[in-house]
Amino acid sequence: MAIQGAEQTILRDPALFYWILFPISVVMILTGILRHYATVLMNTTPKSPSTLAESRERLALLRGVNLRNNACSVLGRESFEMRKNYMVTGFRNGAFLKDPNNRGQPPANPMTDPAGMEAMMGMLKGNMMMMIPQTLIMSWINAFFSGFVILKLPFPLTIRFKSMLQSGVMTRDLDVQWVSSLSWYFLNLMGLQSVFGFILGSDNAASQMAQQMGMANPAAMVNPLQPGQDPDKLYLNEAENLEVMEHFCILDGVEERILQNFAPAGI
Amino acid sequence: MAVPVADIREISGSDLISALHLAQQAPAILGQESRSRVNSSNSSETADYYARLEQLLLACLRTGDDQSAHTCLNRLSLRFGPSNERIMGLRGLYEEATAKDQSALEKCLQEYDNTLSQSPVNVPILKRRVALLRSLNRPSDAISGLIQLLDAIPTDAEAWCELADLYQSQGLGSQAIFSLEEALLIAPNSWNIHSRLGELLYICASDGEASQLLGRSVQHFSRSIELCDDYLRGFYGLTLASARMLDNDYAVSGQLPRKTLERLKAFALVKLGEIVESRSMDDQHWASSRSELIAAKELLNRQSNIQA
Repeated sequence: MAIQGAEQTILRDPALFYWILFPISVVMILTGILRHYATVLMNTTPKSPSTLAESRERLALLRGVNLRNNACSVLGRESFEMRKNYMVTGFRNGAFLKDPNNRGQPPANPMTDPAGMEAMMGMLKGNMMMMIPQTLIMSWINAFFSGFVILKLPFPLTIRFKSMLQSGVMTRDLDVQWVSSLSWYFLNLMGLQSVFGFILGSDNAASQMAQQMGMANPAAMVNPLQPGQDPDKLYLNEAENLEVMEHFCILDGVEERILQNFAPAGI
Repeated sequence: MAVPVADIREISGSDLISALHLAQQAPAILGQESRSRVNSSNSSETADYYARLEQLLLACLRTGDDQSAHTCLNRLSLRFGPSNERIMGLRGLYEEATAKDQSALEKCLQEYDNTLSQSPVNVPILKRRVALLRSLNRPSDAISGLIQLLDAIPTDAEAWCELADLYQSQGLGSQAIFSLEEALLIAPNSWNIHSRLGELLYICASDGEASQLLGRSVQHFSRSIELCDDYLRGFYGLTLASARMLDNDYAVSGQLPRKTLERLKAFALVKLGEIVESRSMDDQHWASSRSELIAAKELLNRQSNIQA
């Protein structure tokens, strides 16, 4: 065991700083930037619905959610009941579905459905964009820099941090303050977010795209349905949510409320 | 720079006077941009720039500066491509605004129909088509087009408001009320829609259900005041609605006690007086809502005559 209280000293070559610590940090920052631009480049916009029925299938769900969330601040009891019955029967009958005849059949395999395929590809691309550079850089560090102890933290830490800070260095007695090269890589991976924020603007990674696509059609952008999900099941779920909803209205007694809150004392 | 950027942002161009101001700056803005665009590569700045260009396009069309509007449109379509849906909508708007006669408008309509047969969910074009039908004096076609649109896209508050307006122009009060309620379900905290709904209810309250409708009208006006406590239209409507309830003695049948109504009316009158006074002071700032201010003054005069 390390002797408590006694300071461990390791003589480090200053070249370690220039040839390991510095290159790893620079490479991490550069890959981060590269990944950002690659994401922007490969980003595909969510596919807007091609027919009116398809758009309705997507947005009917949102309408149900809107009714559930906002009814209490707008509707009186009568109009709420009317809307609730309409939405619930619509959801139950499948009136909002793209093609009501297909109802109850198992959803199409996302692998064969071209639209689903596209969405899956999008997700795959996003994941690949994270995975590939990480694997490459980690193997690069493992091949060239494994086993170096490259810096000492200026503050003490508990033993639990050992596995985090000293991966690749199999020394049981080494004080936790020492950081190995592989761990420096991990620390960079997790901790460089704010640096990227500084370099690339506040919300990076493809947010630029979203801003410029503001010119695109806002209504078609939202799609609450994931690929391969059966809208009918979501509808039934929403119908149930609506059914159990209890109605109250914040318009009740609003007159008294504004008199109490806003009116001057004399009135 | 001839035009401070902050100035341009402040002017939204939503009413005639500020649209005129904005349009008068068009040559300055359009001339300046070609220089400043080179050194502003920041994404948020360019996004802002295009949003401003769109505002400018609308303002120029309203004030008859078709030349500048055309420049704006060209720049926008240069950036986003002529097949972008929103650009298509803006181009349609431009064509409509510069159309010489009825037949040119009919041609626009035909073009919209062509576009829609190719891509049925082109929302800007769908909306333009409805607006064009309305300006061609075919309200029932416009209504059916709008219903079709809303069937597919039921989460568009703007379209619901337009539908309410169309219904009201056709004298279909309860349908208009329904549409406005739908719009409110999407944007529950918009005080202007609340007070608009209050106005509609007030207008519709003439037949057997008058007391109930007026009660709801008072509620919606109150809610709009609760959300925005110096909203002129809200107070104006609250005064009218509560006065009418008091005059016709609806308070007895409804849940609202007479005393509350009286207090509401007095409160609204006091507040109206304050607002009118403070807004008459800095006239320039409130220039766009001058007509509302005049109406409020007139109402105040009438009320004081009654009391005197």
